[in-house]
Amino acid sequence: MDRRTLLKGFAGAGTLAATGRLTAPALAQGTAARTLRFVPQANLANFDPIWGTQYVVRNASAMVWDTLYGMDEKLEPQRQMVEAEEVSADGLTWTFRLRPGLKFHDGEPVLARDVAASLERWTARDQMGLLIRAIQQELTAADDRTVKWVLKKPFPKMLLALGKISTPIAFIMPERLAKTDPFKQISEYVGSGPMRFVKDEWVPGAKAAFERFPDYAPRSEPGSWLAGGKRMLAERVEWVVMPDPATAGAALQSGEIDWWENPISDLVPLLRKNRNVAVDIADPLGNIGAFRMNHLYPPFNDVRARRAVLMAMSQEDYMRAIVGDDDNLWKPLPGFFTPGTPLYTDEGGEILKGPRKLDAAKKLLAESGYAGQPVTCLVAQDQPITKAQGDVTADLLKRLGMNVDFAAIDWGTVGARRAMKTPPGQGGWQMFHTWHSGADCINPAVAIGVRASGDKAWFGWPDVPEVEAQVTAWYEAKTPDEEKAAIGRLNKAALDDVVYAPTGFFLGYQAWRKNVSGVVKGPLPFFWGVAKSA
Amino acid sequence: MTSAPPGIAVAPELPELLPAVNFGRGAVGFLRRHPAVAVGGTLLLFMLLIAVFAPYLGTVDPTALATARRTRPPSAEHWFGTDMLGRDLYSRVIYGARVSLLVGFSVAAFASVIGLAIGLVAGFVRWADAVLMRVMDGLMSIPPILLAVALMALTRGSVGNVILAITIAEIPRVSRLVRSVVLSLREQPYVDAAVAAGTRTPMIILRHILPNTIAPMTVQATYICASAMIIEAILSFIGAGTPPITPSWGNIMAEGRALWQVKPFIVFFPAVFLSLTVLSVNLLGDGWRDALDPRMAKGL
Amino acid sequence: MLAYVVRRVIATVPVMAVVAFFVFSLLYIAPGDPAAVIAGDQATPADVERIRQSLGLDRPFLIRFGEWVWQILHGDLGTSIFTNLPVTAMMAQRFEPTLSLMVITLTFAVGVAVPIGVLAAWKAGTWIDRVIMAFAIFGFSVPVFVIAYLLAFVFALELEWLPVQGYTPLAEGIWPWFENLILPAIALGCVYIALIARTTRAAMLEVLQQDYIRTARAKGIGQGGILFVHALKNASVPIVTVIGIGVALLIGGAVVTESVFAIPGLGRLTVDAILRRDYPLIQGLVLLFSFVYVLVNLLVDLSYTLLDPRIRY
Repeated sequence: MDRRTLLKGFAGAGTLAATGRLTAPALAQGTAARTLRFVPQANLANFDPIWGTQYVVRNASAMVWDTLYGMDEKLEPQRQMVEAEEVSADGLTWTFRLRPGLKFHDGEPVLARDVAASLERWTARDQMGLLIRAIQQELTAADDRTVKWVLKKPFPKMLLALGKISTPIAFIMPERLAKTDPFKQISEYVGSGPMRFVKDEWVPGAKAAFERFPDYAPRSEPGSWLAGGKRMLAERVEWVVMPDPATAGAALQSGEIDWWENPISDLVPLLRKNRNVAVDIADPLGNIGAFRMNHLYPPFNDVRARRAVLMAMSQEDYMRAIVGDDDNLWKPLPGFFTPGTPLYTDEGGEILKGPRKLDAAKKLLAESGYAGQPVTCLVAQDQPITKAQGDVTADLLKRLGMNVDFAAIDWGTVGARRAMKTPPGQGGWQMFHTWHSGADCINPAVAIGVRASGDKAWFGWPDVPEVEAQVTAWYEAKTPDEEKAAIGRLNKAALDDVVYAPTGFFLGYQAWRKNVSGVVKGPLPFFWGVAKSA
Repeated sequence: MTSAPPGIAVAPELPELLPAVNFGRGAVGFLRRHPAVAVGGTLLLFMLLIAVFAPYLGTVDPTALATARRTRPPSAEHWFGTDMLGRDLYSRVIYGARVSLLVGFSVAAFASVIGLAIGLVAGFVRWADAVLMRVMDGLMSIPPILLAVALMALTRGSVGNVILAITIAEIPRVSRLVRSVVLSLREQPYVDAAVAAGTRTPMIILRHILPNTIAPMTVQATYICASAMIIEAILSFIGAGTPPITPSWGNIMAEGRALWQVKPFIVFFPAVFLSLTVLSVNLLGDGWRDALDPRMAKGL
Repeated sequence: MLAYVVRRVIATVPVMAVVAFFVFSLLYIAPGDPAAVIAGDQATPADVERIRQSLGLDRPFLIRFGEWVWQILHGDLGTSIFTNLPVTAMMAQRFEPTLSLMVITLTFAVGVAVPIGVLAAWKAGTWIDRVIMAFAIFGFSVPVFVIAYLLAFVFALELEWLPVQGYTPLAEGIWPWFENLILPAIALGCVYIALIARTTRAAMLEVLQQDYIRTARAKGIGQGGILFVHALKNASVPIVTVIGIGVALLIGGAVVTESVFAIPGLGRLTVDAILRRDYPLIQGLVLLFSFVYVLVNLLVDLSYTLLDPRIRY
């Protein structure tokens, strides 16, 4: 008997949980033992995956709502709620037939009406969805189990759009919820996914509870990311928000939690030493660090200044700042697409390869006409990734001889300021840091960062017609080779003009107690197939 | 007790008329009778010297990155080890003294001066008193940390803003102290006599009020200094403090907090320095207050 | 007496009005608003503007302020921008953990500080006095989170006597509830102990000089009786005062403790809300804190009448 249990005995405590270490809740011992306690990457502050597009909201939503198609490990969309689909010969009419027996958590069956309403709401907020909306003729429920989507022009990547992992995912909600304005939140969290959200127990910012939905009918295929059968083995999943990573590490070691989504890499050796804890890579698609320069104002409106920065920057510095000493966790990235995926290319990436050329960079910077004016860098201090990158950038720019105006603010303020097109010095900015999940960089449809359509582009507003031409070429490509060729040219054009500066490709770990089985690698934590033994 | 509003009894009620501090056999004798002042003062002086002479104490550039050598334990090359970006911790801690001491002293000075002004106005000008004290009450009712976080979110992280935020949170206490002294002194016969004789208010303040406020204010100032240094550390802990390009003990600890179990030295050294400095200021304040209190001066 | 209480309660209104106005103005001026965060990375500026409008954040200051005041007077603190839950519900959820932490911390702090302060005063000038005061000052000088980490490391990780983190509601058992709060309360209490012990010692010293103490001694009353019955009672006014002040300080320290020990309390909620710019939630919480502060001050002042019969309102 360990000391804690002894002490509790002396204090005349109540029941002991099976592990002997838990404080004993009033729930039966069995339930406590089958509750999976998970520490998410961030606080689950709100829970509408169409309205709020943070990754953590998506991850929680994937338990509660289901999708028409789901992406599998091979990045292919597979049928999930759909039994069969049909596209007309001219590519304009899509017909989807739902699987029988799909139910919402309130007992109502899932009908085509619900699907149509959900897709309407989703297309109002999603990039690919907006493209579809622009060419939409009509979206109707032909009967209770059939949805018909008629377009004015063909959209070959329809299944990809419906099954993708990048936010917002096309989750299917009951019609009454889907009718909520896409710019307002839903107030009920009813879905048809394998878990039910227990709203009464939700303490936003601290705890969220999910219970297995017994009437969920999983597909017969084996589960693979968001595709296949989602069989829930745990009765209950509890999300416990822990703001202090050291505490999360300690809690995992002591058994107070079962699964930690993203332990910091410096703590991983300690966790590995614990014989009750297993550690592995979390998401093979990883993340791509980035900083974006403002193409509208000096000094970075001149491509030479931007290229100077790229010449001098060391992706190794950025990556080590983010992931630490573990070399397994990062790769240099001479491009914009996720390593390990079909569209990865390093074409045009010479500027980021090889030894760093600080002197040549300084010369190039001088040629661009930089005369010592302050460079405003927005650095969010409350996001570890941007905070680490910010420090490296400050050092880089100083070594280049630039005058750094370091704005240490918070992520919310970055979000507001980066949208401002005013000149720096009047509330504008010249550089900000961010990162993209690897899943969001697998192709130009989801990689908003690489688009260079000037005013319509992402913050920084790069304007490179060649990049946009290649994006169109990719959309219209008919074979994988054509796609790869277009992407290669895109990569080169984007790097030549420095649409943004990729700081590297990095991975993270996840850690869990050894009595938890079925934890897989993926772009989000998948709770089906995960079981906890005593 | 009804004359003195509650809320200022961090230092106990001092009598209205203070005798001069008994220095006895010179400064040395004073220090021997008040070891708290001696110890506290010496320690604080030591920290001040470290801060001032930082570049000459074997330090390197505290912002120089070397990511290949991150989180190394203390060694001959890096006396305190390196932090998460490979920066030399010894240098960062030594330079950090500058920020922490600057924050502590600045806040104490500004809060005292502004609080003095507000307290004097409140004490002398009846109608302003009600308004000012309600505003001060309002400010005091917001927990200082939260006020500071909000002010930091309003602007951006920098030493100046940290000082501003903490100063605003500390002003109410000083103003209440000064006001209570003014109010109680105004009833004194000799002050009445001065007013009757036509002495202008500024003279009254200078001659009668100020000498009696200086003593409790200096004691209060030391507490504010200590409190400001701790609040700076907590602000950095929450992520609303000075950004790491300017090292402060608070932000060094905040960066290393996730690793305290594996690399405790990152938190340990700044913690020791901060604690010793705050300790020294507290000792100084306590000792000084004891020295001023005539009953303690009787050598109990 | 009743008139006094009523007068004091009425006097809180202008204070809270000042606080409300101040906080509202601060948030209004602050750059960055939740709309950008909510809209997410993919949103266009038009999207962000739409969200801003649907949240009512684009209207002028006075209209928003007036509307908020009107709501408060009807007992409605508004709805959180991020969670869509009523602010009152969100505060109610987090109230118990913070209150529990405060109560246990205060009990622990007072329970340790007052006796050691009395002891220090009794043995004033001796080494016992010096040691006690040094120890107390030390607790005041080390930042809360350092103490918290040390405690967690020694007692939770190494010795495994106590849980590392978390909070168990009282409804699930007294010992589990208490167990989770022991380490946080000690960490938070250390700061407080110094403050109270110092004041206790100073107040006791002043009282112990008084003539009536000498009279009591002459009458043959034992040391314990003198210290605790006669002296402490008369010294209690400043002690209770400093306890009252400390409540505001405690909330600041609670933010740190709640973070380190993962306690879902009001401190953490407030910091999260501020960083996310969840305006209605921030405003509601600050009003709550100022109300608590005012209430505590009122209770402290009322307690004077019990402790010192010379004080009458």
